Amino acid sequence: MKKEIINLTVNGTLHEISVEPQVTLNEVLREQLDLTGTKLSCGAGECGACTVLIDGKPELSCCTLAMTANGKDILTIEGLARDGELHPLQKAFVECGAIQCGFCTPGMLLTSKALLDENPDPTREEVKSYLSGNLCRCTGYVKIVDAVLAAATEMNKGGK
Amino acid sequence: MFRTLKPFGYFEPKTIEEAIGALSVHGAKAKVLAGGVDLVPRLRKRQAHPEYMINIQQIEELDGIIKETAEGLRIGALASLRSIELSPLVKKNYFVLHEAIHSIASIQVKTQGTAVGNLCVATPASDVAPALLVLDAKFRIVGPSGEKTVPAENFYLGVGQTVLQPNEIITEILLPKPQAKTGGAFLKLVRTAADIAKVNAAATLTMADGACKEARIAVGSVATTVLRVKKAEGVLKEQKLDLKVIETAARAAAEEVKPISDLRSTAEYRKETTRVLVKRALEKALERAKA
Repeated sequence: MKKEIINLTVNGTLHEISVEPQVTLNEVLREQLDLTGTKLSCGAGECGACTVLIDGKPELSCCTLAMTANGKDILTIEGLARDGELHPLQKAFVECGAIQCGFCTPGMLLTSKALLDENPDPTREEVKSYLSGNLCRCTGYVKIVDAVLAAATEMNKGGK
Repeated sequence: MFRTLKPFGYFEPKTIEEAIGALSVHGAKAKVLAGGVDLVPRLRKRQAHPEYMINIQQIEELDGIIKETAEGLRIGALASLRSIELSPLVKKNYFVLHEAIHSIASIQVKTQGTAVGNLCVATPASDVAPALLVLDAKFRIVGPSGEKTVPAENFYLGVGQTVLQPNEIITEILLPKPQAKTGGAFLKLVRTAADIAKVNAAATLTMADGACKEARIAVGSVATTVLRVKKAEGVLKEQKLDLKVIETAARAAAEEVKPISDLRSTAEYRKETTRVLVKRALEKALERAKA
């Protein structure tokens, strides 16, 4: 099928990319831009491991045709740390031990970022509800929820 | 499961007319793409084989606007499930729809997926459809011969089948104004929050002078389509609603459904659960109608 040129702003950098219609955003990120922090796991919109922020909203890169992301602003896990410093959510995940194998972590972090952007002071229940579309087979979720709450507290103090 | 999708042609119409034109040319070989959360996984699983993908997200006449009108509420075809869930208008006047969408687990799916997409997939396990059935929703449909309005309850024909022709699209969901002293509730039974419903139930009750003026009950995952259980509704009409009447209606609902056995539940269990969920949904709706 005919290739088309699309423009994607990924982690602040504008890319002009040539894609065929059936190529997903997940494939573009991983295979054309080498941003392999975004995972492909279930491929069916069940697990959230492929989550990226598109125009600030958490969406599934495995269910998004790259063509439909044309002109949009995409944040992947590679863009979360700034100037070599981890985002407060990343620090909290490390400090709270919210990571085991790490496969779900990029999706967890980006969904958590979307949550805190929307609701800077969530309750435990709100965190659990917001992260319900992100599956983790290792941690049992308790420490992940702890970490998001810890990051919220830290960010509300004005810490970076 | 495959990692990549098979090639297809791609078209981004700018007007509804262009979209209908493309759909008329390609017919069943084309698929309409909006949020993609149902369609893209089916492409990956090789359960759908479109030769053309018609992305309707760039059509200027289509939008995701949720607004009050003289008749009630209008929800644009591109409204995401999440935007409907969070809409203050929906929360205030159509709480049962908020409750149904709230019960859907993944924020990502709700951010990307549209309510209209969910309806067109026509799964009998839809959580959105029962809520729209009890709210007396209508769908505005545009096709080559013009526009028409179809009541939600006449929309479904079977599993994955609706009255929508391959060259027609839904442009709006229309909800009538809520009546005074009306309460609604949505409940579902699932194995885990992220799974689809084993059974779901939505109800609205309108009360007047202590009696039930109008009752609407819809259930999902218990027949080939989401459906209204009208015998159960009939039990409630013009009655003073006590626990006994509600129990009789719930039993009638369980008699009306025709569930199957599958990996999620047996038919017998689904029938019994229909009774329990309808009873609880009616109790909750009654409480809210009185409040």
